Amino acid sequence: MSEFAIELDDVGIRFQGERNSGGLKDWLIGRLPGRQPAPSTYCVDALRHVNLKIKSGERVGLIGLNGAGKSTLLKVMAKIYPPTSGRVVVRGHICPMFEFATGFEMNQSGRDNIRIRGLLLGMSPPEIEEKLPEIAEFTELGEFLDYPVRTYSAGMFVRLAFAVSTSINPEILLIDEVMGAGDIKFADKAKRRMYEFMEQGKILVFASHAQTLLESFCKRTIWLDAGSIRMDGATSEVLECYSRTNVPTT
Amino acid sequence: MTPRTQLYADALMALKLWRVWTFLGVQDIKARFRRSFIGPLWILLNLGFFVGGAGFVYGVMFGQPMGEFLPFLITGFVIWGFLLSSLVEAGTAFVVSEGYIKQFSYPKQIYLLRALVSYSINMAIGLVAVIIMQVAFRNIGIDGWLMALPGMALLIIAALGHIVISAYVGTKFRDLPFALGGILQVVFFVTPIMFPIDILRAKGIDFVYRYNPLYYLIDIVRRPILERGLPPVENYAMAALYVLLVWVVAVAIARRLDNRVVFLL
Repeated sequence: MSEFAIELDDVGIRFQGERNSGGLKDWLIGRLPGRQPAPSTYCVDALRHVNLKIKSGERVGLIGLNGAGKSTLLKVMAKIYPPTSGRVVVRGHICPMFEFATGFEMNQSGRDNIRIRGLLLGMSPPEIEEKLPEIAEFTELGEFLDYPVRTYSAGMFVRLAFAVSTSINPEILLIDEVMGAGDIKFADKAKRRMYEFMEQGKILVFASHAQTLLESFCKRTIWLDAGSIRMDGATSEVLECYSRTNVPTT
Repeated sequence: MTPRTQLYADALMALKLWRVWTFLGVQDIKARFRRSFIGPLWILLNLGFFVGGAGFVYGVMFGQPMGEFLPFLITGFVIWGFLLSSLVEAGTAFVVSEGYIKQFSYPKQIYLLRALVSYSINMAIGLVAVIIMQVAFRNIGIDGWLMALPGMALLIIAALGHIVISAYVGTKFRDLPFALGGILQVVFFVTPIMFPIDILRAKGIDFVYRYNPLYYLIDIVRRPILERGLPPVENYAMAALYVLLVWVVAVAIARRLDNRVVFLL
């Protein structure tokens, strides 16, 4: 059972760019002789020297303040962000659950969007057709599934995306705080399905601010602070230190 | 894996995911016509309008026999539309897929192939108009269409190269599609689409098409379809040379920008 793994070796992510559009105009102005505009570039180190190894069977929590790099780290693991320094090795099929609000074809029906999402998450077309009734059922969207999704409300998008994402067989599951899904009725159902789903992952990396969730799911937790790993260890210890350091100001 | 080998590994994996990008490409076409009453028939209808109007005027102006000139015009125009998409529309191929690129793990090259699929389907629908016209003028031949296949293959490979260049550069410089759109409007009028090359030759300005790589790409598809014979070998050679050049540029650009695309979106 050692086939799945995530290894990060001295990984850094540096966001670089121009403060303004960074388009043709700035490029041209930059080339003009004589006239040098004020430096308008920015450079943010979102992750610095991150070293970690996650083995098959591990469930790892990620905690940290907003902007600490949790989402960036997950996107590196998902191979969405190529590291600007260091090395990343991921073995296993990745199932990212990052946002449920984007990545829809607005003029397509709900059903077609289920198919597209399924394909992009790694399902084969026959597999999707097989699971489609069950996914449709779970969304409780009924006849709305035949409507173009541009008619959907925010909550309906979440239902749809959530139902597809949780219907696959995850190997490496990367989750970025997605619990607040849907209305009361759906949230409860979603929670149960989510918990079952998280149990299935061979590897789980889970970014959350909900400490009770982290305690119940993850033995190990990583605390990110300003792009670096501040602490990496048993969940209870890490959470204790984290809470002690970041006492809410009243 | 170094960034460079990563690019090639990604590209290879993207090709293997053909089911994903063909599906996305077909969905794009479906989506475009979903809310219209006659759907893809619009492509045929618009071509009909164009040929009816421009074909008549230019045919008379250049003293062309209509039976030859109209199929010539429509075939060239359909192929041109495909090339135009691969240069202009492709500038937003990554941009419109942002929601997917930032959320799913598949290599982003699948969104380039998706664009190729949807442009190709568009062209195929346009070519149906050519068939209809050839049937109407009773000079259709399956042999000509078969002889067009090698040219078609080169055309599609060239278009994919265009898409790579345009999509990567267009992500960094969002002005690109606008600039290219303007330039290509001019190129359209100097490329033998609305007029046959004989007219240029007769006036002694054959350099206009001789140094135009797009002419060769169009010719190696158009001529077999219309004349049911192969164009001269040098036309294939010029097209192949252009394809090679496009791909050298495409690979160089992709290697430079591949790692940055997601940060530029």
